[in-house]
Amino acid sequence: MLSYLLLSGISTGAIYALVALGIVLVYKATGTINFAHGDQLMIAGFLAWTLHVGLGLPYLVAMAGAVAGGFVLGALAERIGFRAVLRGNLVNVVLATLGLAFVLKGVARLTWGGISDYLAFPPLVPPDPIIIGDIILLPQQLVVTAGALAVMGAFALFFRFTTMGKAMQATADNPKAARLVGIRVENIHMLAFAVGSAVAGAGAALMAPVTLLYPDIGFMLFIKGFAAAVLGGLTSLPGALLGGLAIGVVEALAGGYIDSSAIEVSAFVAIMATLILRPRGLLGGPPPRRA
Amino acid sequence: MSARPETLLTRLMPRPIWVGLVAAALLAVLAPQANSYLLFVANQLCIYVILAVGLNLLVGYTGQLAFAHAALFGIGAYGTALLKVHFGLPFIVTLPAGALLATVVGLAISLPALRLTGLYLTLATLAFAQFTLWVFLHWEGVTFGAGGFRVPRPDWLLPGLSPDVGSFALALLLAIVMTLAAASLVRSNTGRAMIAVRDGEVAAEALGIDLLRTKATAFGLSAFYAGTAGGLQALMLGYVAPESFDLFHMALMKAMIVVGGMGSIVGSVIGAGAVLFLLEGLRAFKGAQEIAFGLLLMGAVIFFPRGVAGWLQALPGWAERYLRTAPPPAPEPDAVPEEAKP
Amino acid sequence: MTARIAVEGLGLSFGGVAALSGVTMAVPPAEIRGIIGPNGAGKTTLLNAICGIVPPTEGRVLLDGQPITGLKPSAIAARGLRRTFQTSALFGGLTVLENVVTGLHTGLRAGLLDGILGSRRLRAEEAEGIEKAHRVLEFVGMAGFADRRASALSFGQQRLVEIARALVSEPSVVLLDEPAVGLSLNRLSDIDRLLRRIRDERGVTLLLIEHVIRLVMEVSDSITVLAAGTVIAEGRPEQVRQDPAVVTAYLGTAVHA
Repeated sequence: MLSYLLLSGISTGAIYALVALGIVLVYKATGTINFAHGDQLMIAGFLAWTLHVGLGLPYLVAMAGAVAGGFVLGALAERIGFRAVLRGNLVNVVLATLGLAFVLKGVARLTWGGISDYLAFPPLVPPDPIIIGDIILLPQQLVVTAGALAVMGAFALFFRFTTMGKAMQATADNPKAARLVGIRVENIHMLAFAVGSAVAGAGAALMAPVTLLYPDIGFMLFIKGFAAAVLGGLTSLPGALLGGLAIGVVEALAGGYIDSSAIEVSAFVAIMATLILRPRGLLGGPPPRRA
Repeated sequence: MSARPETLLTRLMPRPIWVGLVAAALLAVLAPQANSYLLFVANQLCIYVILAVGLNLLVGYTGQLAFAHAALFGIGAYGTALLKVHFGLPFIVTLPAGALLATVVGLAISLPALRLTGLYLTLATLAFAQFTLWVFLHWEGVTFGAGGFRVPRPDWLLPGLSPDVGSFALALLLAIVMTLAAASLVRSNTGRAMIAVRDGEVAAEALGIDLLRTKATAFGLSAFYAGTAGGLQALMLGYVAPESFDLFHMALMKAMIVVGGMGSIVGSVIGAGAVLFLLEGLRAFKGAQEIAFGLLLMGAVIFFPRGVAGWLQALPGWAERYLRTAPPPAPEPDAVPEEAKP
Repeated sequence: MTARIAVEGLGLSFGGVAALSGVTMAVPPAEIRGIIGPNGAGKTTLLNAICGIVPPTEGRVLLDGQPITGLKPSAIAARGLRRTFQTSALFGGLTVLENVVTGLHTGLRAGLLDGILGSRRLRAEEAEGIEKAHRVLEFVGMAGFADRRASALSFGQQRLVEIARALVSEPSVVLLDEPAVGLSLNRLSDIDRLLRRIRDERGVTLLLIEHVIRLVMEVSDSITVLAAGTVIAEGRPEQVRQDPAVVTAYLGTAVHA
C-alpha cells in the first residue's frame, strides 16, 4: 500500500515539478509570476489531443506539437500580458496574466468542450499493472515519471550548456551586468516565459493520458505548481523538483490513508502550513531584485 | 496659512457623493416598479458594490494582493444561510452573524498572512480560497455539497414589501452606508496609514505606522464587507451553491476594482456596475464570459492602469483626497511664501 | 548632561560579514552630527540600525537614556525619532500636505470608528494636523506645494517635503540620509540654513549623512567618520579634516572640499 502510494505520488509530483519548473524559471528571470502558466499548459494539452486523437498523428509528434505550442503561447504571454506592465508593480503583472489565464480558459471551453466535458486521451501503454514482489507498478505512471525526468534532464542540459541557457542564468543572477555585456533582457524574459511554457507543454502531453483534459485543469495545476515552486523556495530549480514531488506524495498519502476527497485539499493545507512555518520555503534564498 | 472654509459654491459642486446618492435614490424609487429581472440586477449591483469597495480597501488602498475575497464572500453567504437552515434563526440575526464569521476568518488568515509579502501572500490566500471551496463542496452534512441548497426567504424583512423588494431595499441601504463609511475611513488617519503601507512599508514604519495593525485592520474590514455581501447574496437568491465563490468570481471582483480604479471608492462603485453589465450581457456563455473578463482585466491593467477613476480625478471636485478639510487652492508654486509664523 | 541619542558598541553582521562593529557615539541635544565615510563604510546601515529597520546584532541604542534597541521601528518612531531616506520615500498616492499629515500618525488618537463615522474627535485632530502641516511646509519653504501630488515634485522638492514630514511631529532626533541629493549646488546654502534652523529653532538633534563634504563641514557641530563599519575618527570638523586616519580612508575616493 505505502509503496504504491509513494510511487503514484511521485508520478503525480513529477508533473507538478514540471509545472513548477516553468514558474521558477519565469520568477528567476523577471521576479514575477505568470498566472496564465497553467492555462498555457492546458491549451498545449488540448493541442496534443487534437494532433493525436483528432488527426491521428503519432504520440511523439503530438507531444512535439504541445511543446511547440507551449513555447509560442509562452512567448505570446510575455508580449501581451507581461511586457507592457513590467514597469508597473507586481499587482499589475499578476492581474494581467490572470486575465490572460481566463481568456485561454474561455477559448478552450469554446473550442474543445463545455464545462464538464472531459476529453479522454488514449493510454500509451497497456493498463495492466506490473507486480514485483509486493510492489505494484502502473506502466502509465512509470512512463509519466520517466518522461518528466527526461524533460527535466534535457532542461538542465539546455540551461547549463547552450548559449541561450547561459544567458538566462546570467540575467537571473544579475540583470544589470547582463545588460552591460550585451544581453537583451527583454529577449531573456520572453525566452523564460516561452521555455517555461514549453516544458509545461511537455508535461501536458505526458499527463493527458492519466488525468484526461478539461479547461479547468490548467489553473488547478498552476496552483499546485506555484505551491511546489514556493515549497522549493521559488528561486531554486532543484527546489521545484523537490516541492513538486513533496506535494504529489502528500496528496497520494492523504488519498490513501484519509479519503479520496482529501487528495485535493491536502495540497492546500500543506501550502498554508509551510508558509506559516517557513515563509521562504524549503530551499529558498532572498527574493531576487526586479529587473 | 489655514485651510479656507468651504464656500457654498464649492460645497454644491458635483461631487461623487452627491451623484452617488441621487443615483441611489432613483434606484430606490424606481426599483419596486421594475420587473423582477431589473430588480435582481439592481440588487446584485448593490452586493457587487459592497464587494468591490471591501476588496479595494485591501488591495487598492493597502496594497495587499490577497485572493481570498470570493471565499470570504462565500463564508458570509454560507454562514448566513446555514444558521437559518440548521437552527432556524431569523435573518436579522444570521446576516450579521455571517458577516462576523467572515470577519473572524479574515482576521484569522491575516495573522499568518501578515508575515508574508507579495507573492507569498498571494499563494497563501489562493490556497485558503481553494481550501474553503473544498469545504463547501465536501462537508456535505453541513453544507449540502456541490448542488448547494435552498434557504427560505423571509417576507417580513421589511413589512409590506415582497421578498424581492425587501432584500433589495436592505442591500441598497447597506451598500450606501458601507460605501460612505469606506469613503469616510480613507479620509482619516487609518486610511492614510493604509495608503502609506501600500506606497512604502519601510517609510510608513519609520513614521510610526504599525504595519501589522494596519494590515490586520484592512484584512478584517475587507472580510466584513465580503461577508455582508455574501449574506445579502443568500437573501437575494434564496439559494447558495459553491460555484458562486470560485476563482472566476475572484477574477470578477479583481476586474471590478481594476476597471473602476485601484484605490478609489468611486471607482469601486463604477467598476462593480461595469462588470455586472458585462456579466449579464454574456449570461448564457460561460466561455465567452471568461474571455470577456480576461480581456477586460488585461486591457484595463495594460491600457488604463488607473481605471475609470483616473479620468474622473481630472474633473473638479472629483479628485479623491485623504484629509477631512478641503485644502486651500494651491497658490502659484513660485509665489513667495507668506511670512513664516512663529 | 546625558546624550540625546547614544550608540553603544553597535554591531551588525549579515551572514558572518560585519557591516558595523563596535560603533559608539553620543550626541548631545540640539547638535548636528555629521556622519561621513567612504562608500560602503556603513553609514546608512548605521541609521537603519538606530531606527530599528535592521535590528543590530550587538550593542544598544539609547534615546534620552532609555534603551530603544529591539523595539519595532514604529515604536521607536513613536518615541520621537524620525528619519528620511536616501531615495525619496514619499507616499506617491498622497498629496504633499497629506504626506506631511501622515507624519503625525503616532500622536493621533482617532481610531477605526472615528474614521468611519467622521467623528468630532477625528475632525478636530485633522484640522489641527493640517494646521501643523502647513506650518512645517512653510518652515521648509514648500508652502506653495501643499496640494500637489507628491509624485509630481522634483527630486529636490521631494527631499524637502520628506524633511517636513519628519519634523511635523516635533521629534527630538531626526536622521537625515543625504538630504542634499538632487539639489542643485546653488541650493546647498538653503539646505545649510534649513538644517541650522531645525537645530536652533526647533531644538532637534540631527544625524546627517552627506556626500557633499563641503556641506557637512560647514553645518556640523561635530563629525563621526566611519570606515569599514567602525568609527575611525570623531571631533570638530576642522579636527577631523586634518586627521591622518581620515585622509587615508578617503584616499582614492576624491575628496571634494
